[in-house]
Amino acid sequence: MFDRKTPAIAVLATLALAGSYATAADVDYTKMTPQELAEHLMFEAGGFKLDVEVQEGGTAKQRLVQDELQKVCTETRNKPSPEQVAALTAAARETVKYPEGDIKLGDWKKGRDLAWSGFGYRVGHRTDDHSKSEPGGNCYNCHEFAGDRQGGTIGPSLRNYGKLRGTEQPILKLVYGIIYNAQSMFPCTTMPRQGANGLLSEEQILDVMAYLFDPTSPVNKE
Amino acid sequence: MLRKLFVAIPLAAAVAGTASAGRSDDPAAVLQALIESTDSFYLTQSEQNLMMMPDSPALWTVEEGEALFHEARGPNNVSLEGCDFGKGPGVLEGAYVELPRYFEDTGKVMDLGNRLIHCMKTLQGFADDDPAITKIHGSGTDHMKLQTYIAAQSNGMAWNPPLDHPLEKAMRDAGEVVFHRRSGPFDFNCAVCHGAEGKRIRASVLPYANNPKEWTKAISWPAFRVGHDNLRSTQHRISECVWQMRYPEIVAGSDLSIAIGSFWTDMARGQPAILPDMKR
Repeated sequence: MFDRKTPAIAVLATLALAGSYATAADVDYTKMTPQELAEHLMFEAGGFKLDVEVQEGGTAKQRLVQDELQKVCTETRNKPSPEQVAALTAAARETVKYPEGDIKLGDWKKGRDLAWSGFGYRVGHRTDDHSKSEPGGNCYNCHEFAGDRQGGTIGPSLRNYGKLRGTEQPILKLVYGIIYNAQSMFPCTTMPRQGANGLLSEEQILDVMAYLFDPTSPVNKE
Repeated sequence: MLRKLFVAIPLAAAVAGTASAGRSDDPAAVLQALIESTDSFYLTQSEQNLMMMPDSPALWTVEEGEALFHEARGPNNVSLEGCDFGKGPGVLEGAYVELPRYFEDTGKVMDLGNRLIHCMKTLQGFADDDPAITKIHGSGTDHMKLQTYIAAQSNGMAWNPPLDHPLEKAMRDAGEVVFHRRSGPFDFNCAVCHGAEGKRIRASVLPYANNPKEWTKAISWPAFRVGHDNLRSTQHRISECVWQMRYPEIVAGSDLSIAIGSFWTDMARGQPAILPDMKR
């Protein structure tokens, strides 16, 4: 493909720290496909600080390695074929670890705090310290919940969620699956895989579900 | 203040939506003309910011930058008047809206930040580790004063980055790949937030990347970030996006950041830049 005569990583690292700019010198960008160049700029040309430790363990580099889901959704611009839909949703459903026995709703007050919190997993000029504060669900970024605070509109409104659906086990199980891995219901959705990617624990998901379903929750008092 | 707006509107309406609009001294008027020319939740989300724009602190920074630009500085004791930002040495009008672009002397596609640092080092003789070179964030830095001044010389002009050189096209296309690449623990890409019209993240209305009339404001940096009480650059905004997306930290001025900037400038092509802008 292309020859890199001199490994420039050491030079790149020091220059990057000094706030100066550099590229790997002997690579011809115009001979690469856009995908090849993008991967090169991310992984080999000092575009990201890859060696930094991240909250989940390991280094930042692994966050950029795409899994099958990310590859398919990227390639299809989030419009997978029917065959891909079947494969993706099946694979996603396999990842869901349900609680033992019935789904028991948690504490809606904790769920509200988790839904509101945007803390967690950010690295860079301000790295989220998970020993100081637990990571939240980021839910309000994209969803409306109750009229007291402004939620986003990237995802559907969740107002009156429990009131509209009841609290029988089938619906609770369905929603648990969505929060754990939304790809199981909505292939290539923009919603993060809260359980499957270890972002929220079982207990936290049940607290968020309480915020959604508990009749005394503000969500159901709209 | 409001009276100024009512006077500006008929004037601004005359240049509404015209890609050949010339340079203007009044970013608020450019924004007002855009608002008049279309129906956009994003553009109209902050009446307060629109009212504050004629008194934006950024306008002071433009003046500080102008003084710095013409001052003989650095070990070589020369001004930046000899710097070529793409349209010839010393030509500032319209230079910013034609960045990023390929430069023969460096063989690279460069944005304003890179090019400014290049001239400060090669013309003025500043060393790599001089604070004038390394401090690139904050209204009080030489870098932001100069960026703001230079960018303001393109206010009201249409974004028009060149794509004739193969390297320019390669960078722009790589930026498009990154824009759509689902990555990280949240599976985010830029399109998650910027791939639809009229969406909000919490209370902030998001610009739609495929609507050039919204996207021109989105990419109009340097802008005064009211919430930060500071002028922010394109590189700063890119790094903020990347941080929220839970990606690794991006290196300012790296070819990756230039590729992203190349793509996003191309997406606003033809629409007038608002420089310096004001944002939340």
